[in-house]
Amino acid sequence: MKKTRVILVEDDTDDSELFKTFLAHRNDIVLLCIASNGIELIRFLDRMPDDDQLPHLIILDQNMPMMNGKQTLKYLSEHDRYSVIPAVIYSTYADSSLVVDCKKLGAKMVASKPIDEDGYDKMMDNFLEVI
Amino acid sequence: MEKRSYKSLLLEIDNLRAQLSEVKDTLNAIRTGQIDALVVTDQNGHSLYTLKTADRAYRAFIEQMAQGAVTLDLSGLIIYSNSQFAEMVRVNHSSVLGNKFTEFISVQDIDAFAACFARGWHEEAKLELSIISQDKLIPVLISLSRLQLEDEIALSVIVTDLTAQKKNERELKEKNQQLETLNEALLSSNHDLQQFASVASHDLQEPLRKIQVFSKIIKDRHAHELSDQPLHYLEKILSCSDRMKVLIIDILNYSRLSADDNSIEIIDLRNLISDIVEDFELKIGEKRAVIDIGELPAIEGNRGQLRQAFYNFISNALKFTSHERSPRITVASREINAGELGLSLMDEEKFCRLVITDNGIGFDEQFAVAIFNLFEKLNPKSSFEGSGIGLAIAKKIIDKHHGLIVAKSEIGNGSEFNIILPYKQPVRSR
Repeated sequence: MKKTRVILVEDDTDDSELFKTFLAHRNDIVLLCIASNGIELIRFLDRMPDDDQLPHLIILDQNMPMMNGKQTLKYLSEHDRYSVIPAVIYSTYADSSLVVDCKKLGAKMVASKPIDEDGYDKMMDNFLEVI
Repeated sequence: MEKRSYKSLLLEIDNLRAQLSEVKDTLNAIRTGQIDALVVTDQNGHSLYTLKTADRAYRAFIEQMAQGAVTLDLSGLIIYSNSQFAEMVRVNHSSVLGNKFTEFISVQDIDAFAACFARGWHEEAKLELSIISQDKLIPVLISLSRLQLEDEIALSVIVTDLTAQKKNERELKEKNQQLETLNEALLSSNHDLQQFASVASHDLQEPLRKIQVFSKIIKDRHAHELSDQPLHYLEKILSCSDRMKVLIIDILNYSRLSADDNSIEIIDLRNLISDIVEDFELKIGEKRAVIDIGELPAIEGNRGQLRQAFYNFISNALKFTSHERSPRITVASREINAGELGLSLMDEEKFCRLVITDNGIGFDEQFAVAIFNLFEKLNPKSSFEGSGIGLAIAKKIIDKHHGLIVAKSEIGNGSEFNIILPYKQPVRSR
């Protein structure tokens, strides 16, 4: 089975550690925690010469320095090469205005950050369904 | 020089006194309008002098006026004054007559008065100025108009004391300033509330969530390394942090409700509720719940507030689900008229009755009213987390929309929330 390449964009090291820890048991995904804000993500994606290497899913934290989740969504949707990659937002507090804003900017899903392994698993399952 | 006796001099003085007293009485009689004409006896016989310059009724009226009234000749000399004007300037009444009116005007107003005086001969002219009243100035409004007398013209000046009015204006201005200050304070405290909402929404929740996450890791992965007592404390940390999370979110929602604008627009309830249901897609997926939204009307209301109210209803229905069956929530509506309702809310005849039904755990119907109280909870903390604010907020919003909520339920058999809302909101509440 082909693994789904997932990029996590998250500035909080605790949160990226939790992501890796809770999802380590999953064989269906390859998790890349290579960017701590939108700018780093774009720099990373721009360096990929081959479109086949691009991730299947981008998970964005909303609160990040320099370029937050919403700003990154906007950038991705405006660039043809990246607008085809499903992007989702996850945030500590996902209120209705965040949901509305993110959906407008092209987010496939908006989720609030889970607090246990089970929650992470379920969130990941939901994310994979939008691909 | 003719020598006169002391006695004859005394006699003459008495005579002059009597004449003077007679003149004073006559003047007073003229002033108060008791006399229309004078008969004077001199060496040529009797002469009749009629008082043409002011008819009796006019003078009587002028003396009764609260305002000062003077009449000026072409040069600005006071040829007539009522006693109110004399009182205003605190000068003996007889000393007022024959003076220039400008002598009673404050120096800085002389030029403005001169212009007004010139204009007054052609048209009605008004001017606010200060008149001298002994050692102080009194603010007055003067109103000038030309008087056509039989063979000459004069200028009538009505002088209105503005002291009380100015005092009122000053007090009003002070009160307005106080109000402005209060308003600013209110705006700033509203701003503080918004700031708090923003802090609460992210800054407080992030560390709280980590407390939850790491406590859960200890519980899920390291429980076997702990004895019963530390595990017990860990449970307490977890339940407290869950509660704190709910409180933060509810307080945040409540603060937003107060800070919300009150704009009324037409809201398609079906769209609104479908949007809300989308927010819950994760939870609906987890619980395998089915949500059935029927045909719903568009009604007038505040979008943010109604969204919050229905969010709380749906959230409750998804929270208090039963383990025995898969959750099913229906939202339906129908039109209802005031007669059927047995109630008259405002002057509206037609209402929309929304029914939100769930097949959850339900509640004892004796609490059908109490569930809408702030911080009211029917379920033990351990089974369902909540702050008890949700339904209180929802009710507050429905109340603000001139609506009604009636809850029906039976333990174990789901609950039914009937929300009755008018289609239109009164213009005043917009």
